[in-house]
Amino acid sequence: MTMRFLRAGLQTSVQDLGRFGLMRYGISRGGAADPMAMRLANLLLGNPMDNPVLEVTLAGPTIEFEDEISVAVVGAHFELTLNEESVGCNEVLQIRRGDILSFGQLLSGARAYIAFSGAMDLPKVFGSCGSNLLGRFGGVNDRAIQRGDSIRFSRIKSVAHRRLEEHFQLKYTGHPQLRVITGAEAHCFDKQAVDDFYNQAYQVSAQSNRMGVRLSGSALDTEEIPQQISSGLCPGTVQIPPDGQPIVSFVEGQTIGGYPRIAHVISADLHMVGQLKTNDRINFLQVTQEHAREILAGKFRLLEQLRAELSG
Amino acid sequence: MIPAFSVIANGDSALDIRFDAEPSEELSRWIIAIEQAINALDRAGIQDLIPAYQCLTLCFDPLLCDPDGLKNDVEALTRKLLARQPELKRNPRLIRLPVCYEGEFAQDMSAVSEHTGLSAQQITAKHCAPHYLVHMLGFSPGFLYLGGLDPSLHCPRKETPALRVPAGAVGIGGKQTGVYPQESPGGWQIIGRTPVELFRPHGNPAFVAEPLDRIEFYPIDRAQFEQFRQEMLEVIPLEQAS
Repeated sequence: MTMRFLRAGLQTSVQDLGRFGLMRYGISRGGAADPMAMRLANLLLGNPMDNPVLEVTLAGPTIEFEDEISVAVVGAHFELTLNEESVGCNEVLQIRRGDILSFGQLLSGARAYIAFSGAMDLPKVFGSCGSNLLGRFGGVNDRAIQRGDSIRFSRIKSVAHRRLEEHFQLKYTGHPQLRVITGAEAHCFDKQAVDDFYNQAYQVSAQSNRMGVRLSGSALDTEEIPQQISSGLCPGTVQIPPDGQPIVSFVEGQTIGGYPRIAHVISADLHMVGQLKTNDRINFLQVTQEHAREILAGKFRLLEQLRAELSG
Repeated sequence: MIPAFSVIANGDSALDIRFDAEPSEELSRWIIAIEQAINALDRAGIQDLIPAYQCLTLCFDPLLCDPDGLKNDVEALTRKLLARQPELKRNPRLIRLPVCYEGEFAQDMSAVSEHTGLSAQQITAKHCAPHYLVHMLGFSPGFLYLGGLDPSLHCPRKETPALRVPAGAVGIGGKQTGVYPQESPGGWQIIGRTPVELFRPHGNPAFVAEPLDRIEFYPIDRAQFEQFRQEMLEVIPLEQAS
């Protein structure tokens, strides 16, 4: 069974939870920009949570299916049609021979995930078939999806119709609060700069992608900050370059960086960065390490609860 | 001298082991020895280790690792390893990278000449003289952070970065020299190009060098550049290199 892309969308790529152990070679983990939405899509189909999916960005694809399969679209809210009939996100869609799934207008969020009740037949590069767009490897022909591409499936199973309960559905307001741990170089900033960082709403700049999200607001004073020697840079780190405008390093970010780090988005909230788009507004709230771990554990408890409910 | 160090949080899913010492070969040897020792622990939840000039970053899954316990263990291990000379599991190598320092491959050679007061021949000779130390890889896939650039070649970055620097471009930026592994924007002054691919995702090995290897550049002409094949790359055990 094969699916064929009649339209590619703005940036559609195969993703999973990324690659580990390669940051020492300059290779970012990559993986889904919103792994929570990806996990929910897989759970709906009874898949392992890290089953490879398609990540759809801002403008989605049109896909023709050769034969039967079940799919689920979770994450950014798009208008969806199946053979020109309106269908919903957050539920299992039964695809029949020759069906055409098409993404329409984006209503909220930035990235949606299409999970499938089968396995995409794609070669693994460094242990994963996901696309690393910056490194130009993985996915279909080592790049994002292009019009005319096709992907074959194997091990297709049939899945009953299910829908995500309202309280499990992700909502994107366009003005989220991101919780952060204080940064490794936060002490280099004066009190005024730190207050300015936490007390303003930043706007997401158009120069944002899977590498990093650039923010604009009133510039922080960086004049007195000593130059840093380059060191390991992790996704979620908020750096302040000399222009005083924060950059949030993201899933395909540089692995080594040299700008002072004022804060780090907590692991539990990093998936929300994947749903930011140009002109969204965000603010930062500082939490403790303990609180950050509790929030993360809480989100994973919910996923496990959902898994139990769906399989029960 | 044994460097002082501290272990600090780098967000909620990474720790930095930071050394209070200037970047040096000795410090890099210690950092890589510690990286190898942490890898050998094979501890659940450790996801990535990123060596750098003065720092080793350890990334972990906060659901699988107790960060306080991990911090204590890493501190104890680092202290133990620093008490003796670093033992490395892998012998460093010398990798000889051919570079064509001519024509359009050396688009900023005249700017570097003007800044340094050296001729293109002198710049090429000085750039080819050292065995540069690979401190680490990073920034982008396969990019090598090299130590050992001749101070007379130090040259400021471009005020406005070039929008497209080709893969293989060899440049100087401040006190650093290096090779762009992929086509990308870049602010370094470009003085040549290597036909060697620094990162080949489907190659074996995928990367030409590892931390602690040495890099030597040697000049080639346009015809040799065109004829070069990746199999011609010279990799020599460091103890055999003169």
